[in-house]
Amino acid sequence: MIDDTAGDGDDTAPSDDPVDRLLASARDESIEDDVHVTGVMMQYYEVCTRELWFDSRDIEIDRDNAAVARGTRVDDEAYSEKRRHVSIDGTIAIDVLDDGRVMEVKPSSALVDPAKLQLLYYLWYLKHVTGVDRDGVLAHPRERRREDVELTPENEEWVEDAIRGVVDVIERDSPPAPTEKPFCESCAYYDFCWSC
Amino acid sequence: MNDNFHVFSDGRIERTDDTIRLVREDGEKQYLPIERAEAIYLHGQVDYNTRLVSFLNEQGIAMHVFGWNDYYAGSIMPKRGQTSGQTVVAQVRAYDDPDHRLTIAKRFVDGSIHNMRANVSYYHNRDHDFTTALDTLDDRQAAIDDATDVNELMGVEAGARRAYYATFDDILPDDFAFRGRTYNPPDNETNSLISYANSLVYANTVSAIRATALDPTVSYLHEPGERRYSLSLDIADIFKPILADRVIFRLLNRRQLSTDDFESDLNGCLLTDDGRETFTRALEETLDQTVHHPTLDRNVSYQYLLRLEAYKLKKHLLTGEEYVPLRRWW
Ligand code: SF4
Repeated sequence: MIDDTAGDGDDTAPSDDPVDRLLASARDESIEDDVHVTGVMMQYYEVCTRELWFDSRDIEIDRDNAAVARGTRVDDEAYSEKRRHVSIDGTIAIDVLDDGRVMEVKPSSALVDPAKLQLLYYLWYLKHVTGVDRDGVLAHPRERRREDVELTPENEEWVEDAIRGVVDVIERDSPPAPTEKPFCESCAYYDFCWSC
Repeated sequence: MNDNFHVFSDGRIERTDDTIRLVREDGEKQYLPIERAEAIYLHGQVDYNTRLVSFLNEQGIAMHVFGWNDYYAGSIMPKRGQTSGQTVVAQVRAYDDPDHRLTIAKRFVDGSIHNMRANVSYYHNRDHDFTTALDTLDDRQAAIDDATDVNELMGVEAGARRAYYATFDDILPDDFAFRGRTYNPPDNETNSLISYANSLVYANTVSAIRATALDPTVSYLHEPGERRYSLSLDIADIFKPILADRVIFRLLNRRQLSTDDFESDLNGCLLTDDGRETFTRALEETLDQTVHHPTLDRNVSYQYLLRLEAYKLKKHLLTGEEYVPLRRWW
């Protein structure tokens, strides 16, 4: 459904589906979409939609909050092998290994799904926007383990549902209510969410 | 990041390398460990220069200046570590919308009356009969909802405060007769103590607001411009019964402050240097005291409760989620 409608430069009526909108604006510079879904947003979407909403509004964490924000690049240094940082459309930034696979590094195994979704989004973006099929590898340096990640049809569906979900969350006027999650305690918004 | 340093002596405060030192009039030097400082409070006659001010600015430390008889003189605020255009826009929008402004102002008054009531009820349950005062406070609390504008709401608050202050003469020892609030200058010991205590609470609130991206000059209950940091007046009202008044009751009833700690002159009645130090130390201890916070599920200090109050307001303004004022729960 996403393959041929948008991006041919002709006057196809703009679709309301966030996935179509995203592809249309990514393929054709003249089409503007207010929402730029980034890889980090996909990650937040999986971790906590409230945090995603805060982040999308630049609601900043207050000074000297002791909680440590979850980093995405924490263990970057763990890999010395050759890889290139590639930025596409200023929307996604990926690490490409010498063998052509896209790599995403995750600091902890507790957050595998968010990392996987982020990586899958990159693969999905490469495939549908630039027409390049790539595989991915999710690296867990602390566990010295890697996991191959492929863009299967189920995974494509996961990504597209998540894009719609992200857009739905950030277009809301108020954030989703907080729900207690295991990572709340280490979240920089903890006091903001729970001081009531 | 939450220590307050109070300087009571006269002298000079200056930057030396990466720290701050106080040089007293007698030449004695004292270094302030500023790594954890939130604010410096100057109570004496203290000189400082621009080099110090830039250093405080870099370090994000506020300096609150207390003058001789009009206690709070002003603050030197570091450029805020946080600035957020959208926070200020949200703040101003809420101020500009009369309904929204009134809603927020009502919450401040609600918290303030609730906390006054908690104090009265504490003594009522011990050895006083404060039935009338409690009734009035309940009545004023109920009247909050009916207020149709901020002026009327101010009236509701003033009525509650009168009933509240009327209990002070019974709570406090006989030699601390109060007979109602007087300002500029305070005419007796209790009034002078309340003025001083309230200005300390106010200055601490200024520091707490500063740690958020809220603009301290945009307020809801008080009119912006009433004082430079009028938002601090709004929030401090909630905390005065919990911080200022509790400490006053305790110190006077335990005779840790006596009438000797005050002196009267043409400018009214004022705390002596010793008295001021005693009170300040007691208030600082209270600020450090912790209570278990039911939703954060951890112990937080009274000082941090001030910070949380600013967060809560900011959250309300940015997300539309309800703002519920601190109502003493412990
Ligand atoms: S504290 Fe919990 S609910 Fe709030 S933003 Fe963080 S993870 Fe989400």
